[in-house]
Amino acid sequence: MVIIRDLFLFDMRFRIGFIILICLFLLVGLSFCSPYEQTARRVVPRNRTPSSKHWLGTNSLGQDIFWQLTFAVRNSLLIGLISTAVSRIIAVMNGMVSGYLGGPVDRVLSTITDSFVVIPRLPLLILVSFVFRGGLNIITTALLLGFLDWAWPSKRYRAQILSLREREFTNTAVYCGMNTLKVIGKQHFPFLISYLLADLISGFLWALGMEITLSVLGLSNLTTPTIGTMIYWANYYQAMLLGTWWWLAPPVIASILAILSFYLLSVSISQFLDPRTRIQHLSIGG
Amino acid sequence: MKAKSAFLQIVFLVAIMTFMALPALAQLPPEIPREDTLIVDQIFRYSTPDNYNIWTTAGTEATRHAFGWDTLWYIDQQTGEWINAVAAERPIYNEDFTEMTVKMRDGLYWSDGVELTSEDLVTTINILKANPGMRWSSELALYVEDVTAVDDYTVKFTLTRPNPRFHYYFTVRWNGVYVMPAHIWKDVENPLEYTFNPPVSLGAYVLRETDPAGYWEIWELREDWERTTTGVIAGKPGPKYILTIFHGPNEKKVMAMSNHELDILMDLDYEAFQALINRNRRARSWYKDFPWAWTDEADTRVFAINQEKFPLNLKDVRWALALALDIVEIQTEYVGGVTRVTPIPQPASVFHMEHYHKQYVPWLKELKLDLGSGEFFVPFDETIPFKIADWAREQGYDIPEDEEAIINMFGVGWWKHAPDVATKLLEINGFTRDSSGNWLLPDGTPWKISIIAAPDEADAYRLAMGAMDQWEDFGIAVEIETLERNPFYTREHMGDYDISSTWGMAGGGNANFVRDKWPFMHNFHTQFYAPIGQASLQNHMRIRSEKLDEIIDKLSNLPPEHPDVPALEEEFFKHWVENMFGIHTVSFKKFITFDETYWTNFPASENPHAQPNYWFMGGKFMYPYLEKSGR
Amino acid sequence: MSLFKRYILPRIIQWIVVIFVGTTVVFLVPRLSPMDPVQTTLSSMSSLGMANPEAIRQMEEVLMDLYGLRGTLLQQYLRFWSYLLKGDLGPSLVMFPAPVISVIGTAMPWTIGLMLVSTILAWLLGIALGTLTGYFADKTWAKILDAVIMCIYPIPNYIMALMLLFLFAYTFPLFPFSGAAGIGIKPGFNRVFIGSVLKHGFLPALSMILITTGWRFISQRALVTNVIGSDHVQYAELAALPRRKIMLNYVFRDTLLPQTTDLALSLGSIFGGALITEFVFSYPGLGQILYTAILQGDFNVIVGVSIFSIVGIATAALLIDLLYPLLDPRVRYH
Repeated sequence: MVIIRDLFLFDMRFRIGFIILICLFLLVGLSFCSPYEQTARRVVPRNRTPSSKHWLGTNSLGQDIFWQLTFAVRNSLLIGLISTAVSRIIAVMNGMVSGYLGGPVDRVLSTITDSFVVIPRLPLLILVSFVFRGGLNIITTALLLGFLDWAWPSKRYRAQILSLREREFTNTAVYCGMNTLKVIGKQHFPFLISYLLADLISGFLWALGMEITLSVLGLSNLTTPTIGTMIYWANYYQAMLLGTWWWLAPPVIASILAILSFYLLSVSISQFLDPRTRIQHLSIGG
Repeated sequence: MKAKSAFLQIVFLVAIMTFMALPALAQLPPEIPREDTLIVDQIFRYSTPDNYNIWTTAGTEATRHAFGWDTLWYIDQQTGEWINAVAAERPIYNEDFTEMTVKMRDGLYWSDGVELTSEDLVTTINILKANPGMRWSSELALYVEDVTAVDDYTVKFTLTRPNPRFHYYFTVRWNGVYVMPAHIWKDVENPLEYTFNPPVSLGAYVLRETDPAGYWEIWELREDWERTTTGVIAGKPGPKYILTIFHGPNEKKVMAMSNHELDILMDLDYEAFQALINRNRRARSWYKDFPWAWTDEADTRVFAINQEKFPLNLKDVRWALALALDIVEIQTEYVGGVTRVTPIPQPASVFHMEHYHKQYVPWLKELKLDLGSGEFFVPFDETIPFKIADWAREQGYDIPEDEEAIINMFGVGWWKHAPDVATKLLEINGFTRDSSGNWLLPDGTPWKISIIAAPDEADAYRLAMGAMDQWEDFGIAVEIETLERNPFYTREHMGDYDISSTWGMAGGGNANFVRDKWPFMHNFHTQFYAPIGQASLQNHMRIRSEKLDEIIDKLSNLPPEHPDVPALEEEFFKHWVENMFGIHTVSFKKFITFDETYWTNFPASENPHAQPNYWFMGGKFMYPYLEKSGR
Repeated sequence: MSLFKRYILPRIIQWIVVIFVGTTVVFLVPRLSPMDPVQTTLSSMSSLGMANPEAIRQMEEVLMDLYGLRGTLLQQYLRFWSYLLKGDLGPSLVMFPAPVISVIGTAMPWTIGLMLVSTILAWLLGIALGTLTGYFADKTWAKILDAVIMCIYPIPNYIMALMLLFLFAYTFPLFPFSGAAGIGIKPGFNRVFIGSVLKHGFLPALSMILITTGWRFISQRALVTNVIGSDHVQYAELAALPRRKIMLNYVFRDTLLPQTTDLALSLGSIFGGALITEFVFSYPGLGQILYTAILQGDFNVIVGVSIFSIVGIATAALLIDLLYPLLDPRVRYH
């Protein structure tokens, strides 16, 4: 708590990121008190401009856009988080095992990883979603995305570790009698952390982007509100041509804010966790 | 810094080159003047643009087949007029319909200067018959025993079995057996793989240029256009150039027409159309005002019901579903009020309203449903069109007071919205409701229905949403499975659905402006029935009815013009409606929109001289009548 | 020799295995999905034309033969390899009998052009900006730049493309909104054609550059932050070397290696096309062809396009692994 307070007080990026995050969570929390069910349509008058009664107006499906947005943010964040968690857990483990053990294990794992890397993901995703026959819900979508996104980062982690392993301090640590786990934890992890955080954001963004892509193509479950399906329906009813910006803008802005807040937080935290940059920060930034 | 300055240099270069290219902004090449060019929405991108062998699926026929190809007869999809094109007169059959003789026009020429003769038609038939996999190859192999040229302009078909409707393969709704130039094709070794490039044209236009990427194509009027069927029949040339161009999604078509870079387009969704006419005052559709759209395409929207899925195999359940729908709300709130309702499996086009819908009103009004225990219910509601008219007036549209005019605008009527009767129908079949009012199947499990629908067919999808909302209000758990068009078709063919919000059940390609619905009915004969899991294209609802078989068998042996045909058809439709095999809702509509900035005299409600659906093969009879606006 | 046996040969075997596995997956998955090219063709033949149920049944049989869909999956699979090894990708099923290679051929140059340019430009831009803002993290301009990129980066691909389209093709009609070259302009090495291609490609490329620069920027910034903390940079700072020199000679150079390998992988993957961008701008690339093929169940086209992508990425990965130790002396061949 103290750390958060300090970061909040002294780091502007953390402050902004944190505030956005709180707002997003507030939206997510609000979704649980929504007066409407998330898939309900025809519950409010259609095509109203923003007003005190409907903060973001209503859409052509007879939904209140503000409350739709709360559900969309909740569902999309969930998809992004689960998918990123799944893919990065696999990626980090695979990359580490591959990188540290080397030899035949590395060769087998790398071959498997590379096979996944080379298969075009979007087609695979579309085909698999056909097999599920429209029965995709938020969790299955998230898991599916997660299982498709571990291979690339896995290669990157492996490369990072290969490079770290060859550095002097690794050898120094090993000669000093540190066991491998300790070397990884104490010596290597700090180097990986800022990369990991940046990579987490990219994973999150990929999942969010893929969800939007699937929805825009009309291939996801269009009745569940997500950032992607909100964009789909706004586009389906030609929000851009008709100038109903209050329908199209909220999901877009929400997705930007989500990524932005994660990025700011990650930069701030990785600096905080990395003692070297903290010193540098003090010496240069004053 | 190196990377940075290199980058800046590249940006600079790109910017310079872009601006250098700025004068080339005009869409057309300089030698083709805009005022001589009709720009047409090419309904999709040609995947194999350099392949003109449209007798195979490698060559795309849509949009371009109206320019360079021709066949024997046409039925105008607006006026219902029979047009003798390559043929000089109607087909001549022998008494038992085992021979068909065709008299061809003389004086028609291919674009390379060779005259069209009977040899061309004979060669076409023989090539198609001998090469399985080409369009019509199966049909011709099935029916044609032999084909001979009697003289230069007469061809005689000997049929394998009596068929009074054989000429339908050469009578265009969408297309018909395209005639091949024999002098080109007779030496082709493998007709399936031949690309027919450059195409030798039998239409009024020749190909000038094709985009290797398949987005556009330019056709140029033939100098000898008078030696083609449109020249002979219309006596007018039409635009000097036609550019067909595919822009992609609807919003881009709106952008193009707003900038006057598109003269006519195939269809838009309701919202895009509204945006367009607000921006471009010279853009309009069939009607100048509400209901705007062209409503005469020969097809209907239908909730196809899979007869092999319990409980949808029960007639009462199907009727309950129909009565739980409020057609007025569906037709207005969901599709904008812009189409005619249809209670029978036939489109409510002007022609069909005249010969079918209006004729059937008496028995529709008498139709009764048995609710058990001696109770009966009359489901037909004649007041539907007037309720829709009231809605339209509320929206501020100008609607005539005349009853006939309102019926012509919105249809003859539909089924009452009667959830109470629907409830009774379900209850006599053992259905119950749970405490929250949701329906349970007779075995006590919740009743769930899934509707499959393809969102690119805007109306079909919105109708599905309407049905979902209303059936849910009625207490049925409904979900929509959104599918892309091709997966959608596959699911339909295989019978892998409960209810499909679809079209084409009025016959699709089999519907036409003739008083003969055999091509549609024929599909429902039990001999073509296929169980779930095996493909069935037309009867994907898997209807099996002895009564229908009987009617179809009788019709098969009658020529289309036989006086007994209408009565048999009426019997067929009556049986269909009594059993509510599929719930037909509204007729097709399309926002065929044209911009009168460069060209005028497009077919429209006040001037319906030809079919406006230009991407059909019969579209060729629209082009000659277009006039330069002089703007 | 021992290096070859110990490192290079296994790596090449891995390359072969990877291509084999990848190809097998793209062969199998579509065939296990509910897609059916025969049904697609039948609907396109009969949905608007006459449909006689008897004839349709015959046609179904004919198409099964023509498309080579008879026999068990294993038989089809073996047949597929026997043709592929001869370099034959077969005919497109839905556009039968047009060869897959010609379907791909029309789209390939556009895809390569668009993707190559935008990938490289985005890479350069991302690296340049990432290095600058990473190194001068405390300057106001760096913070502003950082903030701007962070706001652009998460904009969904589709929205970015659509916004550019509306702004620069419609509201301000500076650029055309579809196609890859002007109508009636003959391909050739002349000013008109190249100008037209650049003009048509500008918005699609811009939208891709804007989106992909973000990731490069973030990763470069993270790498730079890491390197700044390393000893030799600290020494250089202490030695009061000019900051520009430190940035270029120490920081930038250290980050180049991982970024280069990443670039190679990105370049290997350009054969997949950029579906959404192509879709919005009606750009005639491979992405659209692949997408249509998936929807129509055109197995041969799916496999055909995918193989290019598979071989491209696998080869890029192979080259990196073989060259990496040469470039980074710290990594030895294992």
